Amino acid sequence: GQSSGDGERAAGRGGCPGRCRCEVDGLLHRVDCSDLGLREVPGNLSVFTSYLDLSMNNLTVMSGGALSNLHFLEELRLAGNDLSFIPRGAFAGLYNLKVLMLQNNQLRSVPAEAFNNLHNLQSLRLDANHISSVPVGCFSGLRSLRHLWLDDNSLTEVPVEALSELPALQAMTLALNHIGHVPDHAFSRLGRLVVLHLNNNRIVSMGTSCFHGLHSLETLDLNYNSLVEFPTAIRSLSHLKELGFHSNNIQSIPEHAFTGNPSLITIFFYDNPIQSVGRSAFQNLPELRTLSLNGAADLTEFPDLTGTRSLESLTITGARITSLPGSVCEQLPNLQLLDLSYNQIQTLPSFSACESIQKIDLHHNEIEDVEENTFAGLMSLRSLDLSWNRLTSVKPNSFSALPALNKLDLSSNQLSSLPLIGLQSLTHLRLAGNDQLMELIPREELPRVRVMELPFAFQCCAFVSCDRRGGAPSWERDEAESAGRDAAAGFSSQVDQDWEDFLMEFEDEPKPQHSVHCSPTPGPFRPCLHLLGS
Amino acid sequence: TEGPPACPKGCDRCSEYNGCIKCKPKLFIFLERNDIRQIGVCLASCPMGYFGMRNPEGNNRCTQCKIDNCEACFNRNFCTKCKDGLYSHSGRCYVSCPPGQRTANETMEC
Repeated sequence: GQSSGDGERAAGRGGCPGRCRCEVDGLLHRVDCSDLGLREVPGNLSVFTSYLDLSMNNLTVMSGGALSNLHFLEELRLAGNDLSFIPRGAFAGLYNLKVLMLQNNQLRSVPAEAFNNLHNLQSLRLDANHISSVPVGCFSGLRSLRHLWLDDNSLTEVPVEALSELPALQAMTLALNHIGHVPDHAFSRLGRLVVLHLNNNRIVSMGTSCFHGLHSLETLDLNYNSLVEFPTAIRSLSHLKELGFHSNNIQSIPEHAFTGNPSLITIFFYDNPIQSVGRSAFQNLPELRTLSLNGAADLTEFPDLTGTRSLESLTITGARITSLPGSVCEQLPNLQLLDLSYNQIQTLPSFSACESIQKIDLHHNEIEDVEENTFAGLMSLRSLDLSWNRLTSVKPNSFSALPALNKLDLSSNQLSSLPLIGLQSLTHLRLAGNDQLMELIPREELPRVRVMELPFAFQCCAFVSCDRRGGAPSWERDEAESAGRDAAAGFSSQVDQDWEDFLMEFEDEPKPQHSVHCSPTPGPFRPCLHLLGS
Repeated sequence: TEGPPACPKGCDRCSEYNGCIKCKPKLFIFLERNDIRQIGVCLASCPMGYFGMRNPEGNNRCTQCKIDNCEACFNRNFCTKCKDGLYSHSGRCYVSCPPGQRTANETMEC
């Protein structure tokens, strides 16, 4: 790179101004004058400058015509200065400008006329200013604009008229503003918009036709607002793939809620006080992969998921579901994770047709029996949690054909015996809280077990070796780690990422020679000797 | 060390080992890889392959684009600048335009 230290040259003849850092790429110049404490635009810029970075300086004004001879300029960075006003003509002559960065300045309004001649501009950053007004016509002339950042400003309403002059817009963020209402036809001229971020505003209400005209929209982010009603306006978004409205105040999801959105792949709506859900709300969503619903206390029936066949992860916890349809697996042939904990389920259908299922959580329900065919033939099932139910018995072959099962939690039930047929691959077994289960468990029946929680200390005698290591059983550590991850991410919008972490957890093979963490640990007051006669 | 004087430009709080921990308002923290260490630096705009994610608490971060063949992105899934020679359509990058789409060579779009 060349810097001004090589001697000053007359403006316009390949000069590298002041202490800037310059690179020559064939005919064109890349000039980096960032972070030099500059108070005005350097004068002696080469006419062949294609990239100019003036960010993080102390520019307070953009005098008209300061850059007017830079006809080759494609990217102009003015972020992190103190610009509070940009006059008409400030960007005159920049016929080829494609990227203009004005984020992190002191603008209170979008410059009324400064952009009008920038016909080739594709990206315009105005984020992190103090913009509360967007004058009508301020974007006219920007016929090539694809990407617009207006987030982190002080807008109190959607600038409908100004936006209507951006026919080529594909991605826009109005996030982190103070918008309270989205009127009907707010974006009606933005037929090519693919991404719209409205998160972190104060949106309380939306016109039922507010999204009319957004024929190409694929991503809509309404997270962290104050919506009370389900946004039925989404009905016109036929290409929508990703929808977020988590962290709002929505209490119910109506029947046929997503009937207009057959392309939906992800819907994030956690952290809403949802009480009721229309039984048909999630029907006919053939691309939906994940559905998660927590705490819908009024939900008494399992939703009808006809036509939502690609679901891989279904979580409905904290509702009042009492039973599951016998056809649940026919409806959801690709299910891998099912979490119906904290419901009131009494009887279980057969899950045999859920061939891909890997994890089933049914803890904190009212299940009394497990039949022979309930879990029969689930070749991929790794984890089964039936704790905190009312199980009094388990049929001899209930777990006989589960070759991948390595975590089984039957704790806090009313079992008096446990058939061990088929449990040879277990690494984690929990039976604590079954006070009538007093039988000894032969160690050879569970050759790979590493963590056990049993009802009585004497039952651990067969598993505890002399060199017991301290520290919490790895079951707790595993659970703590994954719970910590979820809490930190706040049921992260990256459910796929958590899902991969979960699968990774089971990759490691048991150590060839392993000790067993068994609790309650036999001690001086709970001896093993008299039992084992040695 | 606490306090601005010893911290790099744009940084409100830093540590000797990790560089910047908390940037000044409106800036983005970017974790630069330095051997096995990650050093926090504060930027007005994120480097190539990253986009700036703002949040109300001001912990604005540079986050990686998740789109193949993309140099700059608007969010995780929407590319604003594809690598040279590739066509962009609805925020993704293509070697050749999907069926039914006409190529616009002057803007490298479908």
